[in-house]
Amino acid sequence: MPGFIAKHRKILFILFLFTILFWLVTAQVKNGRFLFMEKPVLAISSFFERIITGTFRSMESTANRYMFLVRTHRENELLKEENSRLMLENAVMNELLIENERLRDALKFKQLNASTSVMAQVIGKEISPISATITINKGSDHGIRKDMAVISSSGIVGRVQTILPGSAKVVLLTDPASTLAVRVQRNREEGLLEGKLVNCALKYVSYYVDIQRGDLLVTSGLDGIYPKGLSVATVVKVTKREASAFQTVVAEPVVRFSRMEEVLVLTK
Amino acid sequence: MKAGVYFTLFFLIIPLQASLLNFLSIAGIKPDLALALLFIIGLLTKPVEATLVGMATGVLLDIGSASHIGIMGFTRGIVGLSASLLGSKVLNITSPSNAIVLTVFGLLEGICVLLFLQLLYGFVPFVSLLARHIIPQSIYTGILGVVLFRLIAIRDVIGFLKRRSIQKEF
Repeated sequence: MPGFIAKHRKILFILFLFTILFWLVTAQVKNGRFLFMEKPVLAISSFFERIITGTFRSMESTANRYMFLVRTHRENELLKEENSRLMLENAVMNELLIENERLRDALKFKQLNASTSVMAQVIGKEISPISATITINKGSDHGIRKDMAVISSSGIVGRVQTILPGSAKVVLLTDPASTLAVRVQRNREEGLLEGKLVNCALKYVSYYVDIQRGDLLVTSGLDGIYPKGLSVATVVKVTKREASAFQTVVAEPVVRFSRMEEVLVLTK
Repeated sequence: MKAGVYFTLFFLIIPLQASLLNFLSIAGIKPDLALALLFIIGLLTKPVEATLVGMATGVLLDIGSASHIGIMGFTRGIVGLSASLLGSKVLNITSPSNAIVLTVFGLLEGICVLLFLQLLYGFVPFVSLLARHIIPQSIYTGILGVVLFRLIAIRDVIGFLKRRSIQKEF
């Protein structure tokens, strides 16, 4: 036996490491994701991401400024920012109209402004087959805390997962770790939206509930993370099976994550 | 040289992947630089070293993402080991045709990851992920591989490494 081990020690060592990794994965299925070394890795990566993104963005912006008139460009940027805020306010107002008196709580979103949100720049984006996250250039120094909702002018982006003083990691809606309570805007039916990497799936929707392709899903506020009434996703496919008590509903996020450059973190 | 490559791989791979490669992304798809570098390292090193480098890179990528720690560690370990075993059979390491093998590796690794996810989360849109993400990314990684293999051939990195190892032996 000792001779066998000595002879094949390299193979056994590799097999041992693979076994450890496999055990690690299966242990997390039971106990949830291990938060091992997350902050140091985020600190190092966000430091370099800031430098790289900053350098490229400044190069891009220098080139743009040479190509266009400086004043027009700046004015355009201000108008874009203003437009984003107005679009967000408009979305909230529309939702408030629909919900009417029954949802008076949602009126607080009319006051959504700089004091209740922090605007952050996306400095890193990792959308891979195993997860979907972004890194933003604002962190605990700017009042950002774990599990705060992150939105864009189109709707919900995700929630804050890991925070450092100057940066934070945000889990996108499509990440398998992401779940949020939603409501069908048309008929107020409720469900739980889960990330499925390329899109999302609406869970626990009874077989008898009327849900159609094109229905807009908005946050219901029941999860305590996302405020009520913000656009989340659009239903793209509904499948009903006789044998199942629930429908299979596939929805696509309203936010185009690949084009996102700035986001708002809701601090209240 | 080797320490420099490992330093780049371990410390810069997450920020490079998450920021620099975004500027190269086409329709949201970007090449997998970590996989391409690991494949090259695998071709040049012994199985144990390649496996360890693969596992370490994978675990770092797992920590940097929001997924369960160990998935990429496991698959990248296999990639490193396979590339190393393949390296002993490959005649010309700098040949751009290795990029095709790199594409296949990317594809196989993607399928392995999807199977893992299927196991973990139950329902995963397998075909959709394969068509919309894994196949395009593998091809893009293969193209990046062509560039890297070309760079290696131009700079004669392999010759440099061999000369260094001979000098060390004496």
